[in-house]
Amino acid sequence: MKVKVIRRVFQLAVLAVLIAVPIYTQNPIEWAPSRIALGELPPPRVSQVWGDTWSFSFYGINITHPLAALEAILAAKVIYLPLIMAALLPIAITLLLGRVFCSWLCPVGFLLELNQRFRSFLRARGIGVKVKLRDYRYHLLGFTLMLTFFFATPIVSAFDPPHVLGRELFYLFTYHSVSLGGIALLTGIFAFEALAAERGWCRSLCPAGGLLSLLGAKRLLKIQKRKERCILCGECNLACPYDLRPVELGIDKDFNDKTCDNCGLCRDACPAGALYYTINTTRR
Amino acid sequence: MRLSRRSFIRSSALLWFGFFGFKMRRDVPVIRPPGATSDFLARCIRCGKCGEACPYDSIKFFDISAGANVATPYIDPLETPCYLCLKRTSEGKDEPLSDYLLCGEACPTGALKKIKNDRDTLLSLPDELKMGVSVLNRDICLAWQYDSCGECYYNCPLRDDAMLDYPPNEVITGAVGIRPYVNEKHCVGCGMCNYVCPVNEKIAKATVEPGRKLTYFEERYAAMVRNVIGKAGREVKLPAVRVVKRV
Repeated sequence: MKVKVIRRVFQLAVLAVLIAVPIYTQNPIEWAPSRIALGELPPPRVSQVWGDTWSFSFYGINITHPLAALEAILAAKVIYLPLIMAALLPIAITLLLGRVFCSWLCPVGFLLELNQRFRSFLRARGIGVKVKLRDYRYHLLGFTLMLTFFFATPIVSAFDPPHVLGRELFYLFTYHSVSLGGIALLTGIFAFEALAAERGWCRSLCPAGGLLSLLGAKRLLKIQKRKERCILCGECNLACPYDLRPVELGIDKDFNDKTCDNCGLCRDACPAGALYYTINTTRR
Repeated sequence: MRLSRRSFIRSSALLWFGFFGFKMRRDVPVIRPPGATSDFLARCIRCGKCGEACPYDSIKFFDISAGANVATPYIDPLETPCYLCLKRTSEGKDEPLSDYLLCGEACPTGALKKIKNDRDTLLSLPDELKMGVSVLNRDICLAWQYDSCGECYYNCPLRDDAMLDYPPNEVITGAVGIRPYVNEKHCVGCGMCNYVCPVNEKIAKATVEPGRKLTYFEERYAAMVRNVIGKAGREVKLPAVRVVKRV
């Protein structure tokens, strides 16, 4: 079975939750302000499910993105225990499985993967420029964390794209409007990836992905290769969205451990079935 | 006047900085949801869960034009006040919807403190956790001027504690109706009085723009509103009772 199919199920489920939660939490009726303040309002809806990929609660269980927790601690200079507890689960998952959030859960990553078809459609008609970007994620992460510390304001929280997408969906269903800044940011990223750098945001700019990369550098779940099956066709190199070289696994160069997000595209692309996921407990 | 490219860039950069620098001022008087701590802007991770939890959608969020305040919650009492998570039963009694105020319950970072949703807790809330305080301008208050209102008193969620029908320690001669008085000790700044006050922009504008439609209740107050605003002058701040930040 292709990993991509399972991955799509996860991504679609996250997107469905992002849409379903604000639909469920919105007020049932569009109500107009009345002179009598409480009496003429419809019964309000009290929900216990809130949030998006940045921070999510389900009946008192909180899950918070590690970068959100880190930013809140750096900005407020206060350690708030429930926030740390909420970040523990994502941190544990990232330590063990790598930054699977980016490839398996992130709704913007999902839409940007679909955006690649639009990109190739434009490319076939000669529209767009070629931009090669180095990996600036760690620089951006350090820079924003520094600003967060000195200006005492969480910064990535304001523009993290999956969070912005969830926020805009929430604004859309609750207030029947979207915010200019968020829509401009999302459109900008999609246009940038369609016209200029292929997967430019995810592989070279996203600070949240950078933090997850650092956390998952020593992960257990890895892509490994059966050397005897490999026919050195190079299909996996073409499939990799991060320009890694799975074909060189175990041959001469070490696989770039930090960048890989275990998306499994190389495994799906391999015609000989040489690549596989492995739980790697020994140090290579 | 010729403008070289460099000076143009420099001046426009200054303009941009001035614009956003002004917008990024930290001390703008924003009515935050109940329980907002003094280091709210540092603690808030802009997750938007307070707005999702709010049962009456009172909590709104800033757009990019608010600079550093982008995506942080605020309450505009003129649009939707904070209902303090109350619902009105068919007998006309206000009952709490939940054990805790839902925005504080939803906040993952402690930027909004968890506040128990009962009257005694709200009445003894420390000042720094309150949204603000109502300020009543007696010069344009219909109850004080014409003895013919009292909406703020009747709609106050903490009636008889935060809003009194008669000022204590004051002798008023010839009073027959309600003389609303804000008790600053107990007022949490939910903005209900601000929301229901008839001395508002809509009625004031309707008196100069005849085409504007008013409801029956607003029509009832329109002439008096015109009178009090005419006496007080056009630059008076409306409505008669407003929520301001505590200092």
